Amino acid sequence: MFVLLKKLQEIKAEAATGAPPRRTSLALRHVDAGSCNGCEHELQNVSNPYYDLARFGLSLVASPRHADVLLITGPVTTRMVEPLQRAYEAMPEPRLVAALGDCALGCNVLGLGSELVGSVERVLPVDIRIPGCPPTPAAIAAAIFR
Amino acid sequence: MGWLSAVTHTEAPELRTVAAAEWREAVSEALATGRRFTSLHALDESGDATVRALFGGEQPLLLSCRSIDATVPSIIDLIPAATWDEREAHDLYGVRFDGHTPLRPLVHHSPTLDDWVVPVHGHNPYDVAVGPIHAGVIESGHFRFHLVGERILHLDLRLFYKHRGLEKASEGVGEREAIRFVGRACAADHVAHTLAYAQAIESAHGLWPSPGLSDTRTFLVELERIWNHLNDIAAICAGVGFAAGNMAFAALKERAQRLNDDLSGHRFLFDTIAVGESPFGLDRGGRDRARATLRELRADAATLWRALLFNASFQARLGDIGVVDKSLAVELGMVGPAARASGHAVDARSESPRLSYGTFAAAHPRERTGDVRARLEIRALELDDSFTILDELAARDLSGGPVHARAASSVVGTSIVEGARGASACIVELAGGNVRRLRLRTSSYANWPAVAPAVVGNLLPDFPLINKSFELCYACVDR
Repeated sequence: MFVLLKKLQEIKAEAATGAPPRRTSLALRHVDAGSCNGCEHELQNVSNPYYDLARFGLSLVASPRHADVLLITGPVTTRMVEPLQRAYEAMPEPRLVAALGDCALGCNVLGLGSELVGSVERVLPVDIRIPGCPPTPAAIAAAIFR
Repeated sequence: MGWLSAVTHTEAPELRTVAAAEWREAVSEALATGRRFTSLHALDESGDATVRALFGGEQPLLLSCRSIDATVPSIIDLIPAATWDEREAHDLYGVRFDGHTPLRPLVHHSPTLDDWVVPVHGHNPYDVAVGPIHAGVIESGHFRFHLVGERILHLDLRLFYKHRGLEKASEGVGEREAIRFVGRACAADHVAHTLAYAQAIESAHGLWPSPGLSDTRTFLVELERIWNHLNDIAAICAGVGFAAGNMAFAALKERAQRLNDDLSGHRFLFDTIAVGESPFGLDRGGRDRARATLRELRADAATLWRALLFNASFQARLGDIGVVDKSLAVELGMVGPAARASGHAVDARSESPRLSYGTFAAAHPRERTGDVRARLEIRALELDDSFTILDELAARDLSGGPVHARAASSVVGTSIVEGARGASACIVELAGGNVRRLRLRTSSYANWPAVAPAVVGNLLPDFPLINKSFELCYACVDR
């Protein structure tokens, strides 16, 4: 345990960004609407010691009920439209929708037309656009802070 | 690592067509000759659907059978591992499998619970439905647990929420271009899948990779294994709520992905594999950087692994949880680290003449108990093997290379590649330079059916841990 904690302290010193602490917070809820799992990996990486977004008041929450932002990945498959809409409806207002990754933005969509809606915009109003295939953790962080 | 030792292998699979009445007999015979079932798929062939089953071996055998009135005898009593394949062929190609009852939907979602949920009776059993949206940053899929108290009696899985029709979308696309459909099936196994595709196309055309191409591709697929295994160890720590272990290994994963980015320009090594050539190559400087970074990573991973071993409260959560015994692993056709943790010694790397594995022998955990502990330990052992392979390869020429024609062209090609989660198979059928049918049967597809029996008798709160110990992907199952 001592070894683990010491290692984490080293990383923290090495990865320090120098960004000032914030007084605000933002709760994010993720919905995978048919991604290739790349966006999920990068979104998880945003919590690793190199980025550690919790420092800036950002948290990934377990329920849309607790969320300010719905972060959506994937080209929205026909089977995920309904769960996605229900997650959005469950959120308190004011609420924001972020389309994470090129698939969610509708660019370069691969797959059968009959299985896909094509972009998040066709289902929900999109406020934040985060391009990339997949977007890097740094790009995700930058887009959310903006 | 003798590349030349394997050139006796034949390229394209043998395609053998049998009548529906002889289908089961032909399948039994293939098994009796020691061949391993690899995949089953259907395709439309002017009217009635055709079903094909691939069996691995020195020369792969692709058995084919034309359905009669859209019906083919089921083989799931002979090969339980073909259960999902038959359900998928039924949903997507309308093939009925005589003897497969009940033939539950897999890809299509029925609103009627009885259509896909196994009836459970007893004293006070109740259901807990989870998903498709989960509490963490996890892919979409639905689990229906049948419980008594907190103990799991049975689990029904409903995946394919992420079905994008990638296989069908690739039909009619040029054989060099269709690799992008395979590549977007899953980011975590991107290299393994695209490599399986490229090798399948090359096998159809009787093409053989040069040593430089083999070395370069092997380097890439092992790099992919490194970041995946580091991710999986972190995920198992997260599965028991052990934040320090999770964060320490998540940091190692980040370093591995930064190395990917440094070497290939992409954190997931996207688009580093192509048919007949290598878009990826390293010069001397790149190889030296890779070697130095991998050595540092290896030393840190070993230190942190020891810290996990000596953490008693973490270790206490791992034993006897989510057990899959060897006979079940064999019966379900499991692959990869999860199969090896149960003592089922399969590793496609020891049968990959197109790659630079030479006399590679798979790692085994000290105790092949098939529980979370064994599935965790095998990751650490394989990580070390992969670091050794990468260190050796970094001393060689990794600038790619050409392919050479060695045999006549065929319209069918197959390949199996051992990715981080196990063997993924790719079958291509070609027509006029285009893909006519593409089948990608991934390692996650092979192992998902084992998750349900693994959780039986365990407590519901241990499910995330058991699930993480398999760390299967949803995207490449759903495709």
